[in-house]
Amino acid sequence: MFSTGFKYFFGVTVLSVVALIISLAFFDKLALAGVAISFLIGVGALLAGIAAATSDGTTRDANLDTTETTTQSMWPLVTGIGVVFVVLGLVTSSIVTFGGVVVLLAALSEWMVQAWSERASTDSSFNFSVRKRLLNPIEFPVLAAVGLGVVIFMFSRIMLSVDKATGAVLFIVAGALVLVAGALFAARPNMKRSVGASICVLGALGIGAGGIAGAVSGERKDLVEAAAEGHFTHAECGPEKSKYFDKGSEETLSLRSSALATVTYRDGELFVNIQGLKAEQKTLTVPRSNPSNIIFRNETEGKFRLVAHLGGKKDATDKSHSDETCTQLVEFGAEQSLTLNIPKSSGPDNTYYLFIAGAEEKQIAVVVP
Amino acid sequence: MLNKRRFAIVSSIGISALLTGCATNAPQDTWQPKGPNSKLIDDLQQPVFAVAGVIGLIVAVAVTYTIIKYRDRGQPIPEQIHGKPALEITLTIIPALILAVVAVFTFGAIFKLAKTDDTEMIINVTGQQWWWEYDYPVQNEYGITQPIITSGQLVMPVGTKVLLRETSRDVIHSYWIPALNGKRDAVPGRVHTLRLEADEPGIYAGQCTEFCGLSHANMRMEAVALSKEDFAKWVANQQAPYVSPAAGTLAKQGEEVFLNQCVRCHQVNGLTRADGTPAIAAPDENVWSGAAPNLSYFMTRNTFAGAMFDLLSKQCRDEVWNAPSDKIGAKYLEGVTEDCLNQKDLRAWLRNAPEVKPMYANPENLAVSNGKYRGMPYLALSEDDISKLVAYLITLK
Ligand code: HEC
Ligand SMILES: [Cu+2]
Repeated sequence: MFSTGFKYFFGVTVLSVVALIISLAFFDKLALAGVAISFLIGVGALLAGIAAATSDGTTRDANLDTTETTTQSMWPLVTGIGVVFVVLGLVTSSIVTFGGVVVLLAALSEWMVQAWSERASTDSSFNFSVRKRLLNPIEFPVLAAVGLGVVIFMFSRIMLSVDKATGAVLFIVAGALVLVAGALFAARPNMKRSVGASICVLGALGIGAGGIAGAVSGERKDLVEAAAEGHFTHAECGPEKSKYFDKGSEETLSLRSSALATVTYRDGELFVNIQGLKAEQKTLTVPRSNPSNIIFRNETEGKFRLVAHLGGKKDATDKSHSDETCTQLVEFGAEQSLTLNIPKSSGPDNTYYLFIAGAEEKQIAVVVP
Repeated sequence: MLNKRRFAIVSSIGISALLTGCATNAPQDTWQPKGPNSKLIDDLQQPVFAVAGVIGLIVAVAVTYTIIKYRDRGQPIPEQIHGKPALEITLTIIPALILAVVAVFTFGAIFKLAKTDDTEMIINVTGQQWWWEYDYPVQNEYGITQPIITSGQLVMPVGTKVLLRETSRDVIHSYWIPALNGKRDAVPGRVHTLRLEADEPGIYAGQCTEFCGLSHANMRMEAVALSKEDFAKWVANQQAPYVSPAAGTLAKQGEEVFLNQCVRCHQVNGLTRADGTPAIAAPDENVWSGAAPNLSYFMTRNTFAGAMFDLLSKQCRDEVWNAPSDKIGAKYLEGVTEDCLNQKDLRAWLRNAPEVKPMYANPENLAVSNGKYRGMPYLALSEDDISKLVAYLITLK
């Protein structure tokens, strides 16, 4: 009937057409992509025609009756899809190309093993078992990983879009459902396959639909705001705006055991505590050219941010002249770390100091020998 | 015949190994503690070694006896039994008890060595390929009102509980002055503490004990313990203002060469350019670790390049090292005088540093380190410039 070559080129053509339609719908700048894809359609169609007309240009060997043992194969089609994605990716995004390459490699290896196994003997059920023995150990883990990845991705979309309280409830419900399903499978080992399969499909559909809905509705408000404020980059040290930060991440053991000093803001004054020195200090010595962690502890009512002025001219109107790095707003009784890496010695022309944002007269001199 | 020769070889190896224990000039001998922390370790290792020695002896004698007594003389193989539970249990319990006793004392010592709350003075110690930097944070009770920075030789007061706060700028190094305490790794991004205390004034040698690349073997250090008065003098001198050489001298020309060639890596506190602006070194732009030794008071130290070379001539060095403990401080504080300067090694260093100390400083092979040197590069200085530089360096004290 349809020759292998025909299937392959037909796949390429159909997918290219689909790609063209999708591209036309979603991208404005299409000149190059349009030409490339149209070219692919033309070539694919031509080659598909030739392949069909000549039965792949082969005459079958009458002695070896392989037609009987060959099965229907979807790999030529999948290979075609891979090629289309690779080409499409070249003009859109490298991720698409990468996905295409993955599909292409998977399809080609499947195709290769299948073609090989079909020539193993004239017994098609034996050939099938040969194929299974070779490929199942790879297919199952890969498919399982992909499946898990999809589940995790979808679930994370859901959790990012609902608010925190709903998230907790959802998590409990999801856990309970998994437990119920597991208990059901365990209690009824002889359950009909179709029932089990339906449960799994239902679960997958639920997560998939939820995930898509979550992705469409976007991340919840506070996450979007926090990202817009730039909290995760410590970018801004000026007037206070921040509302959200992750306190937990600052309280790791490794950080505490590697701190150069603890800077405390108490009763409106800044103090430095250095391990080994009993008295509280008003200067902090920081080794040059080496990242050094300091811990900022706020013991004054309210929220404060510690800023390190690391050279440059301090200019109220144009902040770009001063190098500053800072903690986020730290609540009363809370702590946060700040990493200083100062490449140049301090001197009369370049002084470094720590201060509380908004109360710049409270300073701790930083000396770099 | 063959047996005799083999016996001779084995026994001569054994005897020479034994004889190395008699070396008198062994500055890094772990059996000669010179401070409370190393004494703590010594008090632990002496009895453990004794016990282990006795047990080792018993085992060796028993094995030898058995080998000789029951050697194969063609007698029939004795009856094979599975064993004697009572004996086996006893022989399991006894070593377990011995180890348990050792463990109790070991844990005690470990916790004592980890104490930091009785510290009297702190010094930041930073390792990099292949030298150690020391900086002394401001500590007014010792007269340290400006941070002090030095390299190679750690200077500390005797009878003072000093806490080293170690870290590294590139790879893992390990700080070890055997006479004063055990080893402690210096790990990038972490601060590890090590207690040091010396009973007597003296110079205590050590070396990096974590393989750190090409010149690991040349990464040495010395701890110089000074009496409290001598230490105060040292501190005062390390904060003395910079004095530029008089105009017209060779040293003044050396300062110019230094500004042109060396200041991009080496800081000399107080040094200014011709236009009066302070010369701030930029080792972060030139050296992979981001640091090069601060040379402000270079001639107050006795060694250079990771304590690999002596700044003092052989004779002057011996005078310091062999000085009795009450004189050594005064000798050390003299620093390097013109007569005592080890011109040969210092000139060789300035002429071509990578030739005398292996370093990754070939400009053609710096792709892996973003064009930055690991070590001091060859600077193609003329002999003239070298003389000027030496004349200038000798003023830095
Ligand atoms: C590219 C940076 C660089 C330049 C330029 C440079 N040095 Fe160095 N120098 C180093 C480094 C790094 C070391 C430490 C090497 C070691 O000990 O392994 C060093 C070590 C030294 C030491 C030994 C210091 C000590 O305390 O151990 C002296 C002295 C020295 N340099 C002098 C000079 C002079 C004089 C010049 C100018 C002619 C110069 N250096 C130029 C990087 C540089
Ligand atoms: Cu080292």
